[in-house]
This record gives sequence, structure tokens and C-alpha cells, in this order.
Amino acid sequence: MIEKYFTERLDNGMVLLGEEMPNVSSASMMVLTPAGAAHSPADAPGAAAIGSEWLLRGAGDRDTRGIHDALDFLGCRHHEAVRSEHISLSAAQLGSNLPDVLAIYADILRRPGLSDETFEPCRALIEQDLASLEDEPARKCTLTLREKFFPPPLGRCVFGDAETLAKTKASQVREHMAAGVGPAGTILAVAGKIDWQAFRRQAVDLFENWQGAPGKEIPTTSAPGGVTHIRKDSAQTHIGMAHRSVTIDHQRYYAARVAEMVLSGGMASRLFTEVREKRGLVYHVSSRYNSLRSCAAMLTYAGTTPPKAQETFEVTVGELRRLADGVAADEMDRARTQLKSALVMQGESTEARAAAMANDWYFLSRLRGLGELSDAIDAVTVDDVMAYLAERPARDFTILVIGPEPIDTSVANE
Amino acid sequence: MQFKHTQLDNGLTIVAEVNPDSASMAAGFFVKTGSRDETAEISGVSHFLEHMVFKGTERRSAFDVNLAFDRMGAHYNAFTSEENTVFFGSVLPEFQEPLLDLLSDILRPSLRQEDFDVEKGVIVDEIALYEDQPKFRVYDKMMSTHFADHPLGRCILGTPETIRKLRREQMQDYFDRRYSAGNITLVAVGNLDFDALVARAETDCAAWKSFDVTRQTPPAGASRTNELITDEKVTREHIGLMSAGPSRQCPERFAAELLAAIIGDTTGSRMYYGLVEKAIADEASMSYAPMDGAGGMMTFISCQPQRACEALTIARKVLADFQADGPNETELQAAKNKIASAATLKGELPMGRLAAVGLDWTYRGEYMPLSEQIEQLLAVTAEQVHQVAREFDISATTLVALGPATQL
Repeated sequence: MIEKYFTERLDNGMVLLGEEMPNVSSASMMVLTPAGAAHSPADAPGAAAIGSEWLLRGAGDRDTRGIHDALDFLGCRHHEAVRSEHISLSAAQLGSNLPDVLAIYADILRRPGLSDETFEPCRALIEQDLASLEDEPARKCTLTLREKFFPPPLGRCVFGDAETLAKTKASQVREHMAAGVGPAGTILAVAGKIDWQAFRRQAVDLFENWQGAPGKEIPTTSAPGGVTHIRKDSAQTHIGMAHRSVTIDHQRYYAARVAEMVLSGGMASRLFTEVREKRGLVYHVSSRYNSLRSCAAMLTYAGTTPPKAQETFEVTVGELRRLADGVAADEMDRARTQLKSALVMQGESTEARAAAMANDWYFLSRLRGLGELSDAIDAVTVDDVMAYLAERPARDFTILVIGPEPIDTSVANE
Repeated sequence: MQFKHTQLDNGLTIVAEVNPDSASMAAGFFVKTGSRDETAEISGVSHFLEHMVFKGTERRSAFDVNLAFDRMGAHYNAFTSEENTVFFGSVLPEFQEPLLDLLSDILRPSLRQEDFDVEKGVIVDEIALYEDQPKFRVYDKMMSTHFADHPLGRCILGTPETIRKLRREQMQDYFDRRYSAGNITLVAVGNLDFDALVARAETDCAAWKSFDVTRQTPPAGASRTNELITDEKVTREHIGLMSAGPSRQCPERFAAELLAAIIGDTTGSRMYYGLVEKAIADEASMSYAPMDGAGGMMTFISCQPQRACEALTIARKVLADFQADGPNETELQAAKNKIASAATLKGELPMGRLAAVGLDWTYRGEYMPLSEQIEQLLAVTAEQVHQVAREFDISATTLVALGPATQL
């Protein structure tokens, strides 16, 4: 496969990334701008979420309807989301419409309306998003687990909390957006049917005189950790567990991903086999690698009916730990094949490629090609996985349980 | 892009869209059976059987099946709907043979008692998982209320009671009545070798029995009744509205898809401007649900309980206004462009194209390349969309509301 990657850093700090993909007619764009939830002010932790909603409520010469209608008319499938470190804006469309879409996004990023009239519905929507979590306990479990595990404010719930949301003012959100949405730290990645030179010229024209202050580091405090039970009269007991992993730039990163696959990569993986297949304890159990720039976690989730919660927890912890006893050659082979096959299949999707490039740049300040990734995965040995597990053992869990009854977590402390 | 198809002597149909430019291939067995083909006594058996298909065959244990998929680095899964049970996987082209060998093998499952008993626990957990998500409860209740006694009103998962009572013999009997070679289509998409695919199917599937399989297709009514379920454990008010719509066989299906996007796409639609932009609801979307000989237009709204009446009044007005006046040209064109983009993006992945190719064949015995599908979509007129709204009376809805509200 021919890989055609392009990068360009503008003088103002903004980074442009591109991949020309043959045989596709779509072009997808991903913008990461450093105005995520962790950057929100302490008295308005939901500011980033409100801001992400507010960004599309008018920009440049267009009002809310003008922006939405223009993007819709271009067949642009867009999505705005808040993460810990960034607000992400994704837009997927036919490659022929990319120039027009890009011009609109220049307005959204550089000339958002952020007017008083459009503020209140944005604030109210985030309030509702937060309330909706009560009706999605599995999602709430993972979000709250991150909040307990990562050093504050890195893991904070992106929607903030009900008390401060009710009081959050337009001026606070405007300030947050002004500080975060600027060229420094903003990454714009495109993949698909693009002509890089034409794209680059247009993007340089649109963004080269964008001014803004350099981003700030996020000061953190120590993570609360511990065991939390949130009582809820739910049909399932939702169990979340987090323990430390290594970040993407760490030498054991690929070993961590292989370990993740052995644990939870497919239906023959350890967790699925032991927790679901042999014992019928759950429908869903999984461990997922999750990384921020400064810290990373393995997040494990299991949902089960309350009478089986205790056994589910104990078997799951047992499997997380048993990994350090050894990994068979066959398990290594499967893990490597799964990781590499996923890479090739993601390589067919313009949306997946744009997102992967933006992430690579954020974490590593460079792009990783398919060849490099494939070689790195092939190079992981059992010894590497064992060394990783010795460095990041499955202990000191942060535990979050949502359900009718607490569970006895003492086995996790042994 | 090349379409190929053939049929084995036992009636198994094989269809493929071959694209040598793809980096992967996807394949699946589409079995034309689902909850609508069950009786009340065996409610949930189609879906439970879908799970059991992964539990092993004469030559493989359940673990062997999982191992074989994982060794290929396959992305694989299965789903059960009211009308179809589909088993599929995608792999790099070099794994075409082993993927097909595995999928064909598991389509003749052993249904061992021990596996059956363990899997019951998993199914009961899956039911509990959906029980904790009010949106799914609304979907189930809306289907059963809207279709009333029609087979489409049957719940896909069954209940913990029907699952606990279900016996292995009943599942075997259902398999023996529904999994006829003639009721199954093997579908493949992407970078694949069609001749090898057919040869593999000849070897692995030629012995599958063929027998008559029928499906009851009584005309589907629309109850248009209102169900308010007050549940204090739920935080938000979850509202579902459903009217009739064109079936999967109807030529009006393109117009219906556009209608749903104009009224209720997640961005820039009438429901978006009427409800979400103003923060009266945090979610308000419409989708088109085409089925075998029937169809539905479904709207879902999530809002604060105290604003449920207001949200519902606005949603009803959106539907009534559309039925009265139809779409304007600008919103029609925007909807066309959005759907064409989404179909293009999906069509660029073999796994994304598999369901479209498989379902086109299952329902209509036809193959339609993506380009033609988009052409047909672009040719739809505002009047045709308006006509669907009138003909299917989209403002005459069945209503289900679930949440703390005590009246609506």
C-alpha cells in the first residue's frame, strides 16, 4: 500500500495534516482544538461542553440556521464532541465539497458568533446531556470511573455538574473559548479524496493570520481513586475498574496494546472466555486502553445482574492478574494479527484515518505509517508484555459500581 | 465493481459485489428469520439461537469457533431483528477461505445442552442491559403497541421468563423449520475471489437441507393508540411516535428515507430546529424503518418530564405541517446530499456495504450498485416525498412515553 502523508506547521502554531487515499470519493476532516473539559475553569467545568455546542450557533456572516443549512447542503456529516484535552470537530463529505466545508470551518473556528441570544439553549442542552446519563448507567459508570481515576481535572465529566451548570454564564464560556480555541495546539487533519497542495494553499490562506495565545499546561492534583458505590435501582450492576497503563510515547506502549488484546481483543480473549463463555456471568465485559497525554489507563467494564455481581467482579480481577503469569505463543500471534488487521481495515475509512492522524500528532508530534505500526506490533515479544505487566501491574484499582447493592472489593486489595 | 451471483442445487443463493481495490473483504449469511416468525411460547428463540450458533459444531467447540475468528484477526458479529438473523465477518483478503469455512460450519450448530444452559444466563443479562436503557424500552413498547397483534409486534429478545422456560428441543425445532438452504443467502463484498467463494460453498453447504419455509404476512395495521408508562426510576421523558411507512419492497422507500431526514435528521432538520436548537429536547430524531410488506416512520424524543407536553405538541405540529405542505426544495436537496454522503462513506468499507447488498437481495431479489442507489435518491421529487407523507398519514401516530411524567 502506498502511503501519502503530508504535514505542515504554520507560523502561528497550527498544524495541517493530510493523507491522499486512492479509490475513495469521500474526504473526512478532524479538528482538535485545545479547549477540552480539563481546560474549563474550576467554577464552570461544563464550559467546554457548552462551548462545543455554541460554536455552531452562528459564525462569520451566518446565523445558526445559516451554518447548519450550509453544511447540510454540502452533504457534510458533522459532529462536535468534548474530550478531556480537546474539543473535536469532525466533518465527513464528498471530496469535491471539502473546500467549501473548510471555508465554513474557518468561520466556526475563527469567527464564532457566541452571542448572548444563542447561549442559553446551549447551556440548557448540556444540562440535559448530564441528566440523560442517569438513563444510561453503563456510560455513567465509565465517565465517573475516569473522574475518580485520572488526576483532576483530567478525568472530569465533560458535562460538568448540575450545580455549576445552572450558574454558568456566557462570559465564562466565552473566556474559556478565547483561551483555548486558537492556532497554537490546533490540529487539522484531512484524509481521503484530496489534493494536498490545493488543500494546503486554501488552509494557509484561511488560517495563517489567525492569532492567539499559546496554550497552557493543565495543573493537576492527585486522583481520588478508591471504591465508590452509586446506589441505583437498576436491572444490572455496572462494574468499572481502572488501573494504570503507559502513555503512547512510552517504550512499552505496543506491549500494552498486545496485553489489551490478549485480555479483551476478541471472543477467544481471556475476559470473554472466562467471564462470559465459561460462566455465563455477563453479556458485556471488556478492557480498553485509554490514554491522555500525561497518563493512561486500562478501563475494565462488566455489566451483570445483581446476584452475579460479586462473582463477576472476582473472576474479572482474577483474569486481569493472571495475565502476569504468562501469555502463550498462540495468544501473542492472535493479538498481533488482530491489531494489524484492525489497522488495515481502519485504513479504508477516511473518517478513521483523519481521526488517527490528528491523535498521532497530538501524542507524538508526528504521523505513524502503516509500515511502522505493523513492524512495532510484530516486534513485541512475550518478555515485553511481561515487562509491561511488571511495570503496570493490575492492582491499586479505582473501582466504581452502579447498582442496587455494593460489592465486596477486598479481593482487589490482596 | 462487479456483481456476481449463483445458486446451489439446494437453493442457497450466493451474491457478491467484487471490488479488487478494497483492502478487505466481508461475508455473511443472511437468514430470513426473526422474531416475527416466532410464536409467543418461544419468544426470543431467534436471537437466542443467534448466540448458540457461536457455541460450536460437530467439528468445533465454542472456544474453537472463537479462536478461529480471532486467529484471522476478523471483525465479526451477528444480529437478530424482527425479520433477519445475520452472521458476518470481515477479514483481509488472504483469509477469505478460512472465514467462509468457519461461517459455513457454524451455520450448522450442535446446540449442546450444556452450552444452551450457560447461554441462558448471558441472554438474561442482555435483557437486563436493555432494561436499563429507556430508549430501548420505548422502541419495544412502540413496536408492540403500533403493530398490536401483528407478528411484527413481537419482541426480539423475549422476556427472562420465556428464555428461562425455553427448551433446547424447541430451539432445534425452530432451527429445523427456518434454517433451510433456500431461506439463506450468502453475501460477500470487497476484494474477493468469487469462484473460490462458490467452490467453498459447494463443499461446505451443498449438504444443507432444503424445505419450504413460509412467513405469515398479514396486512399490518397501525394502532394509533397512546401509552403513557410512568416510571419514577427513569430520569428523562422518552417519547416515541410511530406511523405507517412504505415497505422494503415499495419504490417509495427512497422518498421515505428523504422524508425522515428532512423531518428528523440529527442536524438541520425540522425536529432539530423545532426542539433541539431551542433546548426543549436534547434529542429529537426520525428514522425510516422499512420491513417485509410493512414499514414505519419512527420519531424519538428525549426531554425534561415537565416539558414533555410542549415537546410533544411541537413534534406533532412538525408532522402535521409536513403532511399538509410537503418539503421545500432547499431542504429536499440538503437531505439528498446528506444521505448520498453517508451512503458513500459507508460504501467505501466492505463491512459497510455488506448489509445493503444482503438486504436488497433478501427482500427484493435484486442488486443495486451504490451509484444507482444514489441516482434514484437524487431523482426523487418534492411531490413524491409529500405524497408519502399523505399516503401513509405520518401525523396519525402511535405514541409511547416512558418516564416520570404522570400525564401528557
